[in-house]
Amino acid sequence: MTAPTPTTEDAELRSARRDRVFDAMATAGLDVLVLGRRDSVAYATGVRSLWTAGTRPFGPACVLVEAARSIHLLSSWDEGVPPEVPFEHLYGVTWNGAILAGALAAIPGLATATRVGVEALSPGFERMARRLAAAAELVPADDLMRAVRALKLPAEVARIRASVTVADAAMEVAGVALPGGGGPAAARVAALEAAARRGVTVPTSGVVVWPAGPADGARFHVDVGFLVDGYEGGLGRTLPGADDDAPVMAAQRRLVDACRPGATAADLRRAVPTGVTRWRVRGSGMGFEAPVVTDALGRGEVIEEHMVLSVELELDGTRRRDLVAVGSDATEAL
Amino acid sequence: MNGGVGEDLARFLAERRTDMAPIDAGRMRRERHARVQAELARQGVEAALLLHGPNVVYATGEAVRGVDVSHATFERPVALVVAGEDRPHLLAGHVDPTLDVEHRPAAWPELDEGAADLARVLGDVVGPLAGRRVAVDEQTGAMLRAGVLDGADIADASHVVGAAKLTKTDDELACIAQAQRRNEEAMAAIQATARVGATRSEVAGAFLARLVELGAEANLIDPIFQPMPRTVIDGPRTTTRTVAFPTGVGDPTFGEGDIVWVDSGIDHLGYASDFGRTWVIGRDPNAAERRLFERWCDVMVAVLEVLKPGVTGGDLCRAAEAANGGDRPWLPHFYLAHGVGVESAEMPLVGTDLGPEFDDRLAMAPGMVLVLEPVIWDDGVGGYRAEEIVAVTEDGWRHLGGGHPYPPFA
Repeated sequence: MTAPTPTTEDAELRSARRDRVFDAMATAGLDVLVLGRRDSVAYATGVRSLWTAGTRPFGPACVLVEAARSIHLLSSWDEGVPPEVPFEHLYGVTWNGAILAGALAAIPGLATATRVGVEALSPGFERMARRLAAAAELVPADDLMRAVRALKLPAEVARIRASVTVADAAMEVAGVALPGGGGPAAARVAALEAAARRGVTVPTSGVVVWPAGPADGARFHVDVGFLVDGYEGGLGRTLPGADDDAPVMAAQRRLVDACRPGATAADLRRAVPTGVTRWRVRGSGMGFEAPVVTDALGRGEVIEEHMVLSVELELDGTRRRDLVAVGSDATEAL
Repeated sequence: MNGGVGEDLARFLAERRTDMAPIDAGRMRRERHARVQAELARQGVEAALLLHGPNVVYATGEAVRGVDVSHATFERPVALVVAGEDRPHLLAGHVDPTLDVEHRPAAWPELDEGAADLARVLGDVVGPLAGRRVAVDEQTGAMLRAGVLDGADIADASHVVGAAKLTKTDDELACIAQAQRRNEEAMAAIQATARVGATRSEVAGAFLARLVELGAEANLIDPIFQPMPRTVIDGPRTTTRTVAFPTGVGDPTFGEGDIVWVDSGIDHLGYASDFGRTWVIGRDPNAAERRLFERWCDVMVAVLEVLKPGVTGGDLCRAAEAANGGDRPWLPHFYLAHGVGVESAEMPLVGTDLGPEFDDRLAMAPGMVLVLEPVIWDDGVGGYRAEEIVAVTEDGWRHLGGGHPYPPFA
């Protein structure tokens, strides 16, 4: 089996995402935007690249120039690079700061930029950027990317929906393997193999299995997160299911229903029933995204239509996590 | 045909393979903390704020999670090391109780409210920052907006950690060896799945499943099983006009005679392995392919014969080139050798585009780790690439791998 067929042409989705990033740059008055994180670069450009775990030191992996609406990309080859990024716009992997600075200096529009957005800053890149764009103000632009990414296009929701089917299949086989005697390891193996059979070998959060409670050796929380075609599919369950899942289902329904346009963090907190020990609502798309709302986080956050959210809670030792899409009048589980 | 070159190399490596003493994780963390403290003092830095995952692992012993960059950044632990203090501060949600750290709540520095929390912690622990020399490896946008380090004289924390970790303690070497041997064991178990008609994802899935069965803590890279072209021009276009690897794109189906370059890395107690081999699908290597392997072995032996403290990276490069008829036997966008530790590639880097002067200044020292990864390319035939990890010792080197063979080459 292979990954589900996308419902929209790659080129259309890439173009729509790219336009949103450039439009946001124009609105924010950014001449140049420097991105460093793989997920942001993938969003803005559609490039596919090797997956590695964890953080990377911040570096200029992608440079977007608003005036020309051009994309310049750190890549030593054109494999995985979409056709709208010409080969001449690639700068190769280098260990040498002088070579990198030379490649960046050749990007038209960087030297004359007055406002350069940066997703983050390392001391080394800050020095380089102040030399390359001497007159420019360096502006934090992580919030720009976060705001653009938070509201999903219909084609993105379709991708996420397809990704959830992979997570669902992995969860199903984990549920079969878990009581079979092999325990958590057997469940993880079964889930990983099920995803691989669908062509998916890249985790977002991966397959995590942990005891449902210190006194409960028979039930486990299972959480699954895979990156499928660039988008995260994920869900969490407690397996085997409790005799009566109705209370946790009702609690989750209540929290999901509270995730409607205009809802604040306080609204979500009020929707969490008494007895819930842990809960979290966060954005989901190309991975972990904004907003993040918990008991402690989310001041000032407002739920908006077109968000896709990961909603999770735990009640009486049973945990649920579901991805949901916020619509104008209903929030739908994917 | 000289079929014994691989055996000669295997013997050479085996002679320099020693049993690793048991890992004492507590001692390892204490020794690392002492090294970070020594670098803070040497570099005149009062405090180091660390966000980048491997730096946090090095400073605190926080476990590595095999999650993608988005999860790793949003739920990131943060370390704060203050000069003169006897243990680091770790800002994280859940902390292993065996770690000797000052545990503080998770800071969420990606979020504006989290950055404000981080500023408060810095104020509590370090005091007013104005005019103080504070090192940081990365500032998030939220930290910049909140002015978390405003007024401080900012230094690059990657230089602090980079200098501390350039040479490894015996416990660190044992962690790398353990990761490497487990990685090799998983590959040995699944190599047979790479057969005609199998897809990359099937083979990768078998590998990931085996890692779980072996108890590996985390997988660090989408395992690479990349069928290679026979000529550069048949592959992707590259900025260096050489072969593209590792691309990590697509899910090819293997055909008979495919040359597949294999590369993977897993974690043990924060330390990465680096496994590299070349497989041939569905048949034995032909004579021309065997010659590639033999040249690769010749280069390995030539480099290892000169490796000892005091020789430079330049010396290693020249030995490799001489054994390959004067041509550079490595990929120009990479290196002849790189270090490995809490990062999958770190200093010492040998043969990079930092240039020959850099290589000639880089002297080998006991405790340095080298992942040797020569590549032999014969355009039209294809290429052979594999990797072996060694550590520089007082009088030479020792092999950190477990002696994984090179099938179907020998």
